[in-house]
Amino acid sequence: MALLPDAEPDLSRLLDRGLVDELLSLGLAGGAEFAEVYGEHTVRSGFTLEEDRVRTSEYAVLEGVGVRAVRGDQTGYAYADGFSPEALREAARVAARIARDGASAARGDQGPRAFRVVDAPAPFRLERPAPIALDEAGKVALCRRANDAARAHDGRIHEVTVTLVDASKRFVVANSEGRWAEDRQYRTRLAVVALALAGDQRQQGFASGGGCVEAGYFERERTPEAIARESAGIAVTLLGAREPEAGAYPVIVGPGWGGVLVHECFGHGMEGDTIRRETSIRASQLGQRVAARGVTIVDSGIVPHSRGSFRVDDEGTPAQRTTLVEDGILTGYLWDWLNARLTGHRPTGNGRRSSYRHFPLCRMTNTYIEAGREAPQALLASVKRGLYCKSLGGGSVSPADGNFSFQVTEAYQIEDGRLTWPVRNATLTGNGNDAMLKIDGVADDLSINGTTGSCGKDGQWSPVGVGQPTVRFTEMTVGGTLA
Amino acid sequence: MSGPAPATLAGLESIAAQALECARRAGAAHAEACVESARDFSVRVRGGAVESLTQSGTRGLGLRVIVDDAVGFVSSTDLKPEALADLARRAVTLARFSTPDPANVLPTPGDDAEAGATAALAIFDPELVALSPDRRIEMALVLERLTLAHDPRVKRIDDVGLSSQEGASVIANTQGLARAWSETTLGLFAVALADDRDGKQRSGVYGVARRVLADLPPLEAVAREAARRAVARIGARPVPSARVPVVMHPDIAAAWLTEMYQAFTGEAVLKRSSWLTGRLDQMIAAPRITIVDDGRMPRGLGSSPCDGEGVPTRRNLLVDRGRLAMLTYDTYTARRAGARSTGSATRSYDSVPGVGHRNLHIAAGDESPECILARVDRGFYMDDQGSFGFNEVTGDYSFQAQGAWIERGERAFPVEGVTVASSSLDMLRAIEAVGNDLRFDNQVASPTLLIGEMTVSGAGGE
Repeated sequence: MALLPDAEPDLSRLLDRGLVDELLSLGLAGGAEFAEVYGEHTVRSGFTLEEDRVRTSEYAVLEGVGVRAVRGDQTGYAYADGFSPEALREAARVAARIARDGASAARGDQGPRAFRVVDAPAPFRLERPAPIALDEAGKVALCRRANDAARAHDGRIHEVTVTLVDASKRFVVANSEGRWAEDRQYRTRLAVVALALAGDQRQQGFASGGGCVEAGYFERERTPEAIARESAGIAVTLLGAREPEAGAYPVIVGPGWGGVLVHECFGHGMEGDTIRRETSIRASQLGQRVAARGVTIVDSGIVPHSRGSFRVDDEGTPAQRTTLVEDGILTGYLWDWLNARLTGHRPTGNGRRSSYRHFPLCRMTNTYIEAGREAPQALLASVKRGLYCKSLGGGSVSPADGNFSFQVTEAYQIEDGRLTWPVRNATLTGNGNDAMLKIDGVADDLSINGTTGSCGKDGQWSPVGVGQPTVRFTEMTVGGTLA
Repeated sequence: MSGPAPATLAGLESIAAQALECARRAGAAHAEACVESARDFSVRVRGGAVESLTQSGTRGLGLRVIVDDAVGFVSSTDLKPEALADLARRAVTLARFSTPDPANVLPTPGDDAEAGATAALAIFDPELVALSPDRRIEMALVLERLTLAHDPRVKRIDDVGLSSQEGASVIANTQGLARAWSETTLGLFAVALADDRDGKQRSGVYGVARRVLADLPPLEAVAREAARRAVARIGARPVPSARVPVVMHPDIAAAWLTEMYQAFTGEAVLKRSSWLTGRLDQMIAAPRITIVDDGRMPRGLGSSPCDGEGVPTRRNLLVDRGRLAMLTYDTYTARRAGARSTGSATRSYDSVPGVGHRNLHIAAGDESPECILARVDRGFYMDDQGSFGFNEVTGDYSFQAQGAWIERGERAFPVEGVTVASSSLDMLRAIEAVGNDLRFDNQVASPTLLIGEMTVSGAGGE
């Protein structure tokens, strides 16, 4: 029982259907073809433990309503903090101004349609969601356990920072086409940063756990001790690591978080806004080979317990599994409501927003490479000299030309089919346009990391999952100081 | 003139006072309230029309309490009186879960008149506030048109937009400290796309932000630079790996400086997670390098009368002609280190104050960028990079890069698909030239730098 029970407000009382109807009518006034109201109440809590002390305990409430009006490909958006009807009416009027020059638009004089509640199945159920089922003392205890385990792992662990952050979000979204959808989402993330020191050497490790998880997850599936040992282990390993050899050579990327590669260097170019605007090279490649044979790429909003999953997206479209690439051939794109409508597609449940303070964008959910048939060991065995990347850090891609780069956080040199010494400070670079064509081996050990990813786009952050099995690339450019 | 909306500031001050009173009643020994309100405007244009327009006002409160030397922090957008009382009780209850630490103290008002001297900072522009939405939209539309008009190879844009923020902030604490100020910011950006071979497009990104309207460069200059950057990338190719001199464009040098900042914080040194640990008062860079974090630069994007705890901001000289001259502190880390706050706390209303930079920059030298380029017989000119590649505890640097190959002092051809690597300490010591082209388009800025040697990894060995 939480010491600070959240007074979870009844959103449908704060934002009753009569008021929503009125806001939609105000949004349509002046000629917009579509109006949408998004009301949100989010509670976050956070604990930071560093230098063996709980430095801060935090609690935050974010609540308010955003109104979107659309005419053609033009979007007007305004929002208000809180649920004051007068402030919401003003927001609706401001959003409606986008259509002020179009008083004679076709549907401008029609009001919103009667609401139908979106009935989508939940991809998974949470009996005791961690953010509300664990109390403050329980959350602090998880942080302490992680701290103790990281310090106990190795005498060279000098400093440990543990953060536990969770969020309980509920929202209602309704639009002038008669859609009404509500959802509750619970996300938790426990992260451990461990600093190892040896003489003048210092290295840092990172590991995390969580997602849309039950309170029991941290006992049954991934304990604070396991997360801590992973983080501390990386830090200590890096102390003895060598610099990478610079150049282009075979690279194997391990399962799980390595999928950040497919997210960045392929997924972004599949988002409907870049397809409609033709700013993505993928816009003209439907039906064409974009990846090697045996490579299937999926975006799925229904992966159990991943932080990238949900029942309905932030436009009320049910989450779904979308195949982007089937055996190397491009088969479909990701669509939010607006870009789907402008191009004659159906939304795929990829309309997402950071909060009511932003209008939705086309975003990925959980993006991953499907399992192949090979054994991970077999992929390794045939590499004479290369780099095995067990864990990647952050990555980015330039959408126009496809150039990407990733920080490698844990890697090992491959010599004659075997892992040898650890390697640090390696950077993987390449071009997203052909990276998926350079895959020459996909193993059967698919793993989806739904614990930690956050994707930034146009100033908005979305929780995402990424995944892949062990994947081998014929060649990638590895940056380092040894030329 | 520190802002037109005394009514707004007074309203925020009243909320802060109420929150402090609620905290006292709830049992807090000390409390600090931060209230922010902002009017946000953002327009994106495409094809000569508005693509999206967002306009809104927000208001939020952050309340930090100290109970028995332990900290609780709450924030909310619900500022109704009964909500404030509930928030304060939560903050006090939460503090029981934090560890008591005598270094948890709040700053006192002191006798610094500086914190009130907002006018000299010129971070608020009534003209910017008065600029109509129609005029702002028009500026974005003109920027798009100019970006497309500059070069026939630029046939489309990826994005063009304008955004602005008018903000009012109040920080007050139970020690009697009370600060209030207003500020404005307006930013413009264009992303031009140029066609290259094989269906490839090249993007040129350029954006500027300013505090006051009169400082904004002409739209034509922003458009030209975005288009120039896209076109300059056409035909880019990798080069073989080599250890060569690297000329860093000001944007690249500023990005490096941003990454390095963490190492200059007293907190990182205290935890020994900084690669500058144990180097205070030592030479860490070439004598031609001076690094300043200036919170009081007139019209500076990072300028503010006081920091996130209400301590007056200062001009902090981090590196003085190559010597590591100081570390930066907020009130907590200063107390831990036996030092004084350097006015370096940064925050938003919904975050606990932490140490951050303001107008962080490398002081300008006296050579023109052309002269610097001319010094290099064979090397790499780096003017674009990936987002990740810095190790904050070691200072190791390894970024994917784009730019141009330099031969006999001139840009010979555009380059992509390489990685540039070294370590920050080696790089700082190897800086052979500092440009005279320092300009503040963002909070962090640097002139052009010439670094004696770095590893450029390309498609193979030499």
